[in-house]
Amino acid sequence: MSSLEADVLVIGGGSTGAGVARDAALRGFSTILVERRDLADGTTGRFHGLLHSGGRYAVKDPSAARECIAENRILRVTAADCVEDTGGLFVSTPWDDPEYGDQFLEGCRATDVPAEEIPVAEALRREPRVNPDIRRAFLVPDAALDPWKLVWGCARSAEAHGARILPYHRVLDLEMDGERVVGAHVRSERSGEEFGIHATVVINAAGAWAGQIADLAHCTVNVRAGMGLMIAMNHRLVHMCVNRCKRPSDGDILLPLRTACVIGTTDVFVPDPDQTEIRQEDIDLLLDEGEKLVPGFRQARALHAWAGVRPLFEDTAKVAETRDVTRSHALLDHSSREGVAGFLTITGGKTTTFRLMAEAAVDAACEQLGGPRPCRTAEVPLAGSESHELYQISHRLAAREPVPQAEEIICECELITRSRLEEAIKQRDTTSLDDIRRLLRLAMGPCQGGFCIYRATGILHQGGQVDQAGANQTLLDFLEERWKGVHPILHGDQLRQARLDDWIFQGILDVEHLPV
Amino acid sequence: MSYDTVVVGAGLAGLTAALRLTEHGQRVLVVARGVGATHLAPATVDVLGYLGDARVENPASSVATLVASSRDHPYGHISADQLAAALDWFTTRAGALSYVGGVEENLLLPTALGVPKPSALAPRTMSGGDLRAGGRFVFVGFKGFKDFHPTLIADNLARARLPAPVAARALELELPAGRRVDMSGRVIAGQFDTENLSEWLITALQNRVEPDEHIGVPAVLGLRRADETWQKLETRLGRKVFEVATLPPSIPGIRLFDALASALRASGTRIVLGVRAVGARTNGGRIEAVDVANATGTVSHRTDAMVLASGGFASGGLELDSFGATRETVFDLPLIGMPETDRVRFAPGYFDAQPLSAAGVGTDDQFRPVDASGRPVYTNLHAAGAILGGAVPWKEKSGTGISVATGYAAAGAILAPAAQAVSEAVR
Amino acid sequence: MNDLIRDSLDHCVKCTICETHCPVSQVTPLFPGPKYVGPQAERYRGAGPSSDASVDYCSGCGICTQVCPQDVKIAEINSRARAKLWEKRGVPLRNQMIARPTVIGRLGTPVAPLANWALHNRAVRGMVQSMIGIHRDAPMPSFAGKTFQRRSRSHHGPTDAPAVVYFHGCGTNYYEPVLGEMMVAVLEHNGFRVIVPQQDCCGLPLQSNGNFPAARTYVRRLVDRLVPHARAGLPIVSNSTSCGLMLKREAHEILGIEDEDLKLVSESMYDVCEFLLRLHERGALRTDFGSLPLTVPYHAPCQQRGHGIGKPALDLLALVPDLDMIELDVDCCGIAGTYGLKKEKYEIAMAVGKRLFDDITATGSDLAACDSETCRWQIAHGTGVTAVHPIELLYRAYGLGASDPAGKHGTRPLAAVAAGPGTSERDTGSHD
Repeated sequence: MSSLEADVLVIGGGSTGAGVARDAALRGFSTILVERRDLADGTTGRFHGLLHSGGRYAVKDPSAARECIAENRILRVTAADCVEDTGGLFVSTPWDDPEYGDQFLEGCRATDVPAEEIPVAEALRREPRVNPDIRRAFLVPDAALDPWKLVWGCARSAEAHGARILPYHRVLDLEMDGERVVGAHVRSERSGEEFGIHATVVINAAGAWAGQIADLAHCTVNVRAGMGLMIAMNHRLVHMCVNRCKRPSDGDILLPLRTACVIGTTDVFVPDPDQTEIRQEDIDLLLDEGEKLVPGFRQARALHAWAGVRPLFEDTAKVAETRDVTRSHALLDHSSREGVAGFLTITGGKTTTFRLMAEAAVDAACEQLGGPRPCRTAEVPLAGSESHELYQISHRLAAREPVPQAEEIICECELITRSRLEEAIKQRDTTSLDDIRRLLRLAMGPCQGGFCIYRATGILHQGGQVDQAGANQTLLDFLEERWKGVHPILHGDQLRQARLDDWIFQGILDVEHLPV
Repeated sequence: MSYDTVVVGAGLAGLTAALRLTEHGQRVLVVARGVGATHLAPATVDVLGYLGDARVENPASSVATLVASSRDHPYGHISADQLAAALDWFTTRAGALSYVGGVEENLLLPTALGVPKPSALAPRTMSGGDLRAGGRFVFVGFKGFKDFHPTLIADNLARARLPAPVAARALELELPAGRRVDMSGRVIAGQFDTENLSEWLITALQNRVEPDEHIGVPAVLGLRRADETWQKLETRLGRKVFEVATLPPSIPGIRLFDALASALRASGTRIVLGVRAVGARTNGGRIEAVDVANATGTVSHRTDAMVLASGGFASGGLELDSFGATRETVFDLPLIGMPETDRVRFAPGYFDAQPLSAAGVGTDDQFRPVDASGRPVYTNLHAAGAILGGAVPWKEKSGTGISVATGYAAAGAILAPAAQAVSEAVR
Repeated sequence: MNDLIRDSLDHCVKCTICETHCPVSQVTPLFPGPKYVGPQAERYRGAGPSSDASVDYCSGCGICTQVCPQDVKIAEINSRARAKLWEKRGVPLRNQMIARPTVIGRLGTPVAPLANWALHNRAVRGMVQSMIGIHRDAPMPSFAGKTFQRRSRSHHGPTDAPAVVYFHGCGTNYYEPVLGEMMVAVLEHNGFRVIVPQQDCCGLPLQSNGNFPAARTYVRRLVDRLVPHARAGLPIVSNSTSCGLMLKREAHEILGIEDEDLKLVSESMYDVCEFLLRLHERGALRTDFGSLPLTVPYHAPCQQRGHGIGKPALDLLALVPDLDMIELDVDCCGIAGTYGLKKEKYEIAMAVGKRLFDDITATGSDLAACDSETCRWQIAHGTGVTAVHPIELLYRAYGLGASDPAGKHGTRPLAAVAAGPGTSERDTGSHD
């Protein structure tokens, strides 16, 4: 591969980048997407999973609320397989001003976000674990959004329309022709091969890393990285997305996401989006806030903690609290800003509005690609969502019913069968268990890979995908990577699990003495 | 009811203690929340496999080195003679498994990843996998049995650090047609017991194995008739056949549990599962009765002594809450091996030394939990097994060894308090 | 409201111990195993009904919960999922029928000879199998004709002794009233006055057949009958281990009944062997046992072990001279209440029981002991030996049969007293 050509080169494989690639491909542009790591390995794959109704922004940021509800309605149709219609509940706990509920209702009314106050008793009937001392409760159409399915759905859909999706391809430099960006010099992180990609328009969709990409074209994009911490709990403590009815703050969302439920989030400015250290005080903060929403939360089992970085675009002076920086997206045409043509940056925003962001970016790209072409992403379903059937929690369980024990289940927590695993290995052509994890949720359940990772390694190896050394390496890498998210929340039941996993990996299999 | 000793925990340490006490005529009750780690860990007795980074060849001498530098280690409370006696005793009591080996040298048995792992004792169905003499090996897997991957074993073994050259290859067999898919090791073991799987295996292997190859199979050769099946395979195939430990469940471990439990049953000792010890009635520093919660309430069992073998963090003998407090769950006993309060409990790298990993109960030489001043918390409470602090058994490869040795020694302390007192006075 | 059953899934570390002990998943692929349908599948069950019908193949024996070292309420999770399943689908007629032993009992008792003929007639059973789904070969007890309740009305025991309350359950009432009389005799022999309150089914079969609302109604009705005695501080004894466990624990844990009266009854409830052993600990049990030169294999049923009381029957019978009890080491006989009666599950239940049957047969004894009635019927069906409640052995050892003024039991050999079910030559009429 010496060089590639495209109308549009997208840098960044999160929801924005994948959305842009899909949008451009659907409009008939030849498109290439590069991502330095795996798709959705940055901010998108680390967000809480809330498909906003807009309720959260109804008071503070009405325009964001309007965008959210509009996109929420679109994604329920076009990305149905990624969306679980859990519904959302805003509750006033004893720590929240019940008067805020009136502002909240008013804000929702003004922004077209359907909201309805229900009696507290009804709210508790629907969510029996929620703090019985709540004073008000409101229903909104929040939903749960699976970020990996979303990004891969976009990527597959883009590929079906001729796009090339290149994960593990790092942009080393942008190619300039005078004051024009004409492509990028990239390196495959897997093979080490370097090559050029020439494109008429380069769209920088690197999110929190967008500043780093812009630097390569000597442009300035001020993106602050707002780190948010999330903790996944072992099972659904709530069935709806439960929000505190107050001005958005730390630890005020608890939502079901697939088999787990997730509490989020915090907001801490970090100088480097790649440096996200999980601090004990943030864990404690989330657990304490969780306790306010669901009494007994501290005794419930935490599975895993992780941090994501929000790209917060700021065009003006410094702002102390990152949450007050606008969540609405920013589209920067660097020709008008810095006189650099062929180069757009789309950043800020939120996963819920990724499609809208992509539309804006590709609309702008059209101007440099010979005139407008209509956007089709609001109508065309994503790959995997063609049936418009919304995801349901019981799908994997139901799929196994017709023929009992028809094949082996490799990951028992997440009900991943051998054929699904083998298919994913083939499809991704990967040697990394972590890639498989993001595709299938391998090892994301209670045992955090204690049982399935040995099995998956064996299958990866036996299928000839990796040699013995590669198999050992991905196994060890996986254990290290997993530990990063596990050790900050190790207590109670999850420590029991971790100790059993130690016995399995070290006591029984003796992984420390693998020949590598 | 009134007992000589109440044992809490039905893992290897608890069963060992209970059996030794029962043999000496004691009236013993075993209570446990469920069955223990026997069902998960291979039935090998791992006394000491690693001393730091060095693989241990002679556990007896390495244990001496270990305790010289680490006084809090559970092995620090027993003599070399006691350790050897414990293994001898265990070998005869678990006779159904025909253990091979001893405290003077470690076998090197392949794990399911193909890593040579040191063990002092192994059931004879497994001991043929000893890699020290080198040779040619074939590892046999069953298609559809997810807990054992022979190719990975063979490829890793071929690159393992071993005293003599080893050649290894893998062979995968289709289980006979008509069998269900996704069988657990337990189900396959059941079929080895009740159906003619061994005949199938012999036929399947006969023409596919070289005359000088040793044959490694997943440790699923049956429960009740495993030894018989293994003998038949060796005899009929004319080659060394051995079982390799799989992911849990551990079929040889269940055999071990069954052997010890049936010995206890034969002498009338009751193992009550599904209940939990919640505390005790004490008087003057002695436990007089153990409180056990069952279906409806709490029953008090009067007893002269108690063995606490409720396990470590994995089994709920120890707990860490979300506020960072660690406690022993029945008596809130003092703990040793704790991280200093201002230090993190967990290090960021998975293979780093983890500060909390040696946490547990500290004891005197009679395995009585002691307080900070070294005095026993209760004069007749003894602890054994994974609840003991001072060791990192999964790293040292010492878990089953500690359980057998300390279970044996705790029972010994109960049986001979007078003798113990004398020896203490002498020291 | 905290959901303690569901929350217990948090303790699951996937260790597979429950799977190694599950008797059902060992013999059939139709049941994916306790870990799968329990703590694992529960994470996939939303607010609505379960999408996994395979949970219905759980027999509810409860062994998984007993062996789980992490306190996961596996069987209880399964039981609830089953109920939700049937809530959605509607409980089939068959399950409704076999779940109501009192209704069956009341129908069958007045016409016992006819009903017994029908129960053991192959042609009729074939019809029943195809129409209702009760397996033609499933073990069926015989109606005794005159219920224990009726018999006990004509019994005059001591009037001034300390009282115990006898919760006899449906099995004793309709099918084994003789056992009930032995219970009374043994308790009276130990100086008690036995109160037999009016009583109905405990609701257990309804619970295990997925009809929780009806089961709750039965529990409440029964508790109403028993609670005045519990309030008076009287112990309640039961010879039915499963019905006793229902009141001890399951009504609260599985059916979720939060009720002070139930709690009081639970705390007053004793398995009869547990009760007698406690007497013995206090030195209050009469030990005037005669010789009983028999070798008898003993099977502690799953539900008995759920009590967490050890095996008091063996401790008691160890007091009987020349009686050699063999403690069997098999988890389950397969029947699990009504599970093994069902057409689609009969073969599974028999496969589960095979090891127990083989072990009993291997002892060479023509007599076996077991605390639970349905298990005794299954054992008799699977082995052909006579299966008796441990109380019957105590009764014999006390020599109570011989001293019985009415001569009701004493003149017949032990095996005949306890003739197993399905043996159509059993002369039920002779009991009166």
